[in-house]
Amino acid sequence: MVARIRADDPSGMEELYGVFTTGIRFYLCRQLGPQDLDDKVHDAFITIAQSIRRGDLREPERLMGYVRTVIRRQVAGYIGAAVESRRNMVDPDHGAILRDRKPDPERKAIEDQNNALAMRVLNTLPRRDREVLVRFYLQEQTPDRICRDMGLTATQFRLTKSRAKARFTELGQARFARHKGFAASATAKRKEAPEARAS
Amino acid sequence: MACGAQLEMAMANPVERHLDEEAAEKYSLGQLSARKVVEIETHFLVCESCRQKVAASDAYVAAMRNAAAKLRKKEQTPRRRVAGK
Repeated sequence: MVARIRADDPSGMEELYGVFTTGIRFYLCRQLGPQDLDDKVHDAFITIAQSIRRGDLREPERLMGYVRTVIRRQVAGYIGAAVESRRNMVDPDHGAILRDRKPDPERKAIEDQNNALAMRVLNTLPRRDREVLVRFYLQEQTPDRICRDMGLTATQFRLTKSRAKARFTELGQARFARHKGFAASATAKRKEAPEARAS
Repeated sequence: MACGAQLEMAMANPVERHLDEEAAEKYSLGQLSARKVVEIETHFLVCESCRQKVAASDAYVAAMRNAAAKLRKKEQTPRRRVAGK
Protein backbone atom coordinates (compact mmCIF):
# COMPACT_ATOMS: atom_id res chain seq x y z
CA MET A 1 0.00 0.00 0.00
CA VAL A 2 2.78 2.43 0.95
CA ALA A 3 4.61 1.75 -2.33
CA ARG A 4 1.41 2.44 -4.26
CA ILE A 5 0.80 5.72 -2.41
CA ARG A 6 4.39 6.76 -3.13
CA ALA A 7 3.84 5.91 -6.79
CA ASP A 8 0.64 8.01 -6.87
CA ASP A 9 -1.43 4.93 -7.63
CA PRO A 10 -5.06 5.81 -6.65
CA SER A 11 -5.64 2.28 -5.34
CA GLY A 12 -3.06 3.00 -2.61
CA MET A 13 -5.03 5.99 -1.33
CA GLU A 14 -8.26 4.04 -1.63
CA GLU A 15 -6.86 1.33 0.58
CA LEU A 16 -5.48 3.86 3.06
CA TYR A 17 -8.97 5.37 3.36
CA GLY A 18 -10.54 1.95 3.67
CA VAL A 19 -8.27 0.88 6.50
CA PHE A 20 -8.03 4.07 8.54
CA THR A 21 -11.11 6.26 7.99
CA THR A 22 -13.18 4.97 10.90
CA GLY A 23 -10.23 4.92 13.30
CA ILE A 24 -9.06 8.42 12.40
CA ARG A 25 -12.64 9.73 12.66
CA PHE A 26 -13.05 8.16 16.06
CA TYR A 27 -9.74 9.53 17.32
CA LEU A 28 -10.32 13.08 16.05
CA CYS A 29 -13.91 13.16 17.30
CA ARG A 30 -12.84 11.93 20.73
CA GLN A 31 -10.09 14.53 21.01
CA LEU A 32 -11.68 17.52 19.29
CA GLY A 33 -15.43 16.93 19.21
CA PRO A 34 -17.73 16.47 16.23
CA GLN A 35 -17.36 19.95 14.79
CA ASP A 36 -16.01 20.06 11.20
CA LEU A 37 -15.04 16.42 11.57
CA ASP A 38 -15.19 15.57 7.86
CA ASP A 39 -12.78 18.39 7.04
CA LYS A 40 -10.40 17.33 9.77
CA VAL A 41 -10.41 13.71 8.59
CA HIS A 42 -9.80 14.86 5.04
CA ASP A 43 -6.89 17.07 6.19
CA ALA A 44 -5.40 14.13 8.06
CA PHE A 45 -5.40 11.94 4.95
CA ILE A 46 -3.84 14.70 2.87
CA THR A 47 -1.06 15.17 5.43
CA ILE A 48 -0.44 11.43 5.70
CA ALA A 49 -0.34 10.91 1.93
CA GLN A 50 1.93 13.92 1.37
CA SER A 51 4.40 12.84 3.99
CA ILE A 52 4.46 9.26 2.66
CA ARG A 53 5.17 10.63 -0.84
CA ARG A 54 7.95 12.79 0.56
CA GLY A 55 9.51 9.62 1.95
CA ASP A 56 9.03 10.49 5.63
CA LEU A 57 7.83 6.97 6.37
CA ARG A 58 10.99 4.92 6.01
CA GLU A 59 9.67 1.61 7.24
CA PRO A 60 6.29 0.80 5.63
CA GLU A 61 5.51 -1.80 8.31
CA ARG A 62 5.34 1.04 10.82
CA LEU A 63 2.43 2.67 8.99
CA MET A 64 -0.03 2.30 11.89
CA GLY A 65 2.24 4.04 14.37
CA TYR A 66 3.07 6.66 11.77
CA VAL A 67 -0.59 7.46 11.10
CA ARG A 68 -1.21 7.79 14.80
CA THR A 69 1.76 10.18 15.17
CA VAL A 70 0.52 12.35 12.30
CA ILE A 71 -3.01 12.67 13.66
CA ARG A 72 -1.74 13.29 17.19
CA ARG A 73 0.33 16.18 15.84
CA GLN A 74 -2.73 17.41 13.97
CA VAL A 75 -4.75 17.37 17.21
CA ALA A 76 -1.97 19.24 19.01
CA GLY A 77 -2.02 21.79 16.17
CA TYR A 78 -5.78 22.33 16.48
CA ILE A 79 -5.57 22.67 20.25
CA GLY A 80 -2.64 25.08 19.95
CA ALA A 81 -4.55 27.16 17.41
CA ALA A 82 -7.63 27.19 19.66
CA VAL A 83 -5.58 28.33 22.66
CA GLU A 84 -3.90 31.02 20.57
CA SER A 85 -7.18 32.24 19.12
CA ARG A 86 -8.76 32.46 22.57
CA ARG A 87 -5.81 34.58 23.58
CA ASN A 88 -6.43 36.85 20.60
CA MET A 89 -10.19 36.69 20.65
CA VAL A 90 -10.52 38.99 17.64
CA ASP A 91 -8.36 36.98 15.24
CA PRO A 92 -10.73 36.33 12.29
CA ASP A 93 -8.58 33.55 10.82
CA HIS A 94 -9.54 31.26 13.67
CA GLY A 95 -13.23 32.05 13.72
CA ALA A 96 -14.22 28.44 13.25
CA ILE A 97 -12.40 27.34 16.35
CA LEU A 98 -13.96 30.09 18.40
CA ARG A 99 -17.44 28.83 17.64
CA ASP A 100 -19.60 27.60 20.43
CA ARG A 101 -18.86 23.91 21.01
CA LYS A 102 -22.21 22.82 22.36
CA PRO A 103 -22.93 19.15 21.65
CA ASP A 104 -25.56 18.38 19.03
CA PRO A 105 -29.06 17.65 20.42
CA GLU A 106 -28.84 13.89 19.90
CA ARG A 107 -25.49 13.65 21.63
CA LYS A 108 -26.77 15.86 24.45
CA ALA A 109 -29.85 13.64 24.90
CA ILE A 110 -27.67 10.53 25.17
CA GLU A 111 -25.39 12.25 27.68
CA ASP A 112 -28.37 13.34 29.77
CA GLN A 113 -29.75 9.80 29.77
CA ASN A 114 -26.36 8.40 30.80
CA ASN A 115 -26.08 10.96 33.59
CA ALA A 116 -29.55 10.02 34.84
CA LEU A 117 -28.60 6.32 34.82
CA ALA A 118 -25.39 7.00 36.71
CA MET A 119 -27.35 9.02 39.26
CA ARG A 120 -29.80 6.14 39.67
CA VAL A 121 -26.91 3.75 40.22
CA LEU A 122 -25.28 6.01 42.81
CA ASN A 123 -28.57 6.60 44.63
CA THR A 124 -29.28 2.88 45.01
CA LEU A 125 -25.87 2.07 46.45
CA PRO A 126 -24.99 1.94 50.13
CA ARG A 127 -23.40 5.18 51.30
CA ARG A 128 -19.97 3.61 51.62
CA ASP A 129 -19.92 2.24 48.06
CA ARG A 130 -21.10 5.60 46.78
CA GLU A 131 -18.24 7.29 48.59
CA VAL A 132 -15.77 4.93 46.88
CA LEU A 133 -17.10 5.86 43.45
CA VAL A 134 -17.22 9.59 44.17
CA ARG A 135 -13.62 9.51 45.36
CA PHE A 136 -12.49 7.51 42.33
CA TYR A 137 -14.39 9.15 39.47
CA LEU A 138 -14.84 12.69 40.74
CA GLN A 139 -11.91 13.35 43.03
CA GLU A 140 -9.61 11.09 41.01
CA GLN A 141 -8.08 9.54 44.08
CA THR A 142 -5.92 6.49 43.47
CA PRO A 143 -7.27 3.05 44.36
CA ASP A 144 -4.45 2.71 46.93
CA ARG A 145 -5.46 5.88 48.70
CA ILE A 146 -9.16 5.01 48.67
CA CYS A 147 -8.45 1.57 50.10
CA ARG A 148 -6.18 3.02 52.77
CA ASP A 149 -8.57 5.81 53.80
CA MET A 150 -11.66 3.64 53.79
CA GLY A 151 -10.15 0.43 55.12
CA LEU A 152 -10.90 -1.62 51.99
CA THR A 153 -9.00 -4.43 50.34
CA ALA A 154 -8.12 -4.14 46.66
CA THR A 155 -10.72 -6.84 45.91
CA GLN A 156 -13.48 -4.98 47.76
CA PHE A 157 -12.58 -1.85 45.82
CA ARG A 158 -12.69 -3.67 42.48
CA LEU A 159 -15.97 -5.35 43.36
CA THR A 160 -17.62 -2.06 44.29
CA LYS A 161 -16.54 -0.56 41.00
CA SER A 162 -17.50 -3.52 38.85
CA ARG A 163 -20.92 -3.93 40.53
CA ALA A 164 -21.73 -0.29 39.82
CA LYS A 165 -20.65 -0.63 36.22
CA ALA A 166 -22.66 -3.83 35.79
CA ARG A 167 -25.74 -2.08 37.20
CA PHE A 168 -25.21 0.87 34.86
CA THR A 169 -24.94 -1.47 31.87
CA GLU A 170 -28.01 -3.42 32.99
CA LEU A 171 -30.11 -0.25 33.36
CA GLY A 172 -28.83 1.02 30.02
CA GLN A 173 -29.79 -2.22 28.29
CA ALA A 174 -33.23 -2.18 29.90
CA ARG A 175 -33.72 1.39 28.70
CA PHE A 176 -32.59 0.42 25.21
CA ALA A 177 -34.97 -2.56 25.15
CA ARG A 178 -37.88 -0.39 26.33
CA HIS A 179 -37.05 2.19 23.69
CA LYS A 180 -36.84 -0.52 21.02
CA GLY A 181 -40.12 -2.04 22.19
CA PHE A 182 -41.78 1.35 22.09
CA ALA A 183 -40.44 2.01 18.59
CA ALA A 184 -41.61 -1.42 17.39
CA SER A 185 -45.11 -0.98 18.85
CA ALA A 186 -45.35 2.50 17.33
CA THR A 187 -44.39 1.07 13.92
CA ALA A 188 -46.95 -1.73 14.33
CA LYS A 189 -49.63 0.81 15.24
CA ARG A 190 -48.77 2.88 12.19
CA LYS A 191 -49.10 -0.25 10.03
CA GLU A 192 -52.39 -1.24 11.64
CA ALA A 193 -53.90 2.20 11.36
CA PRO A 194 -54.66 2.20 7.60
CA GLU A 195 -56.26 -1.29 7.86
CA ALA A 196 -58.39 -0.14 10.78
CA ARG A 197 -59.45 2.87 8.82
CA ALA A 198 -60.23 0.69 5.76
CA SER A 199 -62.41 -1.68 7.78
CA MET B 1 -9.79 -5.45 0.93
CA ALA B 2 -9.61 -3.50 4.15
CA CYS B 3 -9.79 -6.64 6.27
CA GLY B 4 -6.80 -8.23 4.56
CA ALA B 5 -4.75 -5.07 4.86
CA GLN B 6 -5.78 -4.60 8.50
CA LEU B 7 -4.74 -8.11 9.31
CA GLU B 8 -1.47 -7.69 7.47
CA MET B 9 -0.68 -4.54 9.40
CA ALA B 10 -1.81 -5.89 12.71
CA MET B 11 0.52 -8.83 12.16
CA ALA B 12 3.40 -6.52 11.32
CA ASN B 13 2.72 -4.37 14.36
CA PRO B 14 3.57 -5.44 17.89
CA VAL B 15 0.38 -3.80 19.19
CA GLU B 16 -2.11 -6.52 18.51
CA ARG B 17 -3.58 -7.19 21.93
CA HIS B 18 -7.13 -6.08 22.56
CA LEU B 19 -7.95 -3.78 25.43
CA ASP B 20 -9.49 -5.18 28.57
CA GLU B 21 -12.12 -3.17 30.44
CA GLU B 22 -9.66 -1.98 33.06
CA ALA B 23 -7.24 -0.61 30.47
CA ALA B 24 -10.11 1.09 28.62
CA GLU B 25 -11.25 2.75 31.85
CA LYS B 26 -7.72 3.88 32.71
CA TYR B 27 -7.41 5.30 29.23
CA SER B 28 -10.70 7.18 29.63
CA LEU B 29 -9.51 8.53 32.97
CA GLY B 30 -6.13 9.56 31.52
CA GLN B 31 -4.29 7.31 33.96
CA LEU B 32 -2.02 5.44 31.56
CA SER B 33 1.64 6.02 30.82
CA ALA B 34 2.51 7.86 27.61
CA ARG B 35 3.88 4.64 26.17
CA LYS B 36 0.72 2.69 26.87
CA VAL B 37 -1.39 5.50 25.37
CA VAL B 38 0.62 5.28 22.14
CA GLU B 39 0.08 1.50 22.05
CA ILE B 40 -3.66 1.75 22.64
CA GLU B 41 -4.26 4.59 20.20
CA THR B 42 -2.28 2.85 17.51
CA HIS B 43 -4.24 -0.32 18.08
CA PHE B 44 -7.72 1.19 18.01
CA LEU B 45 -6.98 2.94 14.72
CA VAL B 46 -7.69 -0.42 13.11
CA CYS B 47 -9.76 -2.25 15.77
CA GLU B 48 -13.50 -1.66 15.88
CA SER B 49 -14.18 -3.72 18.99
CA CYS B 50 -11.61 -1.74 21.00
CA ARG B 51 -13.01 1.54 19.72
CA GLN B 52 -16.40 0.44 21.01
CA LYS B 53 -14.88 -0.47 24.35
CA VAL B 54 -13.23 2.95 24.64
CA ALA B 55 -16.42 4.75 23.59
CA ALA B 56 -18.46 2.84 26.20
CA SER B 57 -15.85 3.53 28.83
CA ASP B 58 -15.70 7.25 27.97
CA ALA B 59 -19.48 7.47 28.28
CA TYR B 60 -19.51 5.63 31.61
CA VAL B 61 -16.70 7.67 33.15
CA ALA B 62 -18.26 10.98 32.02
CA ALA B 63 -21.68 9.96 33.38
CA MET B 64 -20.26 8.82 36.73
CA ARG B 65 -18.23 11.99 37.04
CA ASN B 66 -21.25 14.20 36.35
CA ALA B 67 -23.54 12.26 38.64
CA ALA B 68 -20.94 12.18 41.41
CA ALA B 69 -20.44 15.93 41.12
CA LYS B 70 -24.20 16.54 41.41
CA LEU B 71 -24.44 14.22 44.37
CA ARG B 72 -21.52 15.89 46.13
CA LYS B 73 -23.04 19.30 45.55
CA LYS B 74 -26.38 18.12 46.91
CA GLU B 75 -24.73 16.63 49.99
CA GLN B 76 -22.84 19.83 50.65
CA THR B 77 -25.87 22.09 50.28
CA PRO B 78 -27.27 22.74 53.77
CA ARG B 79 -30.83 21.58 54.14
CA ARG B 80 -33.38 24.31 54.77
CA ARG B 81 -35.32 24.06 57.96
CA VAL B 82 -39.03 23.85 57.55
CA ALA B 83 -40.65 26.83 59.27
CA GLY B 84 -42.28 26.06 62.58
CA LYS B 85 -40.37 22.80 63.17
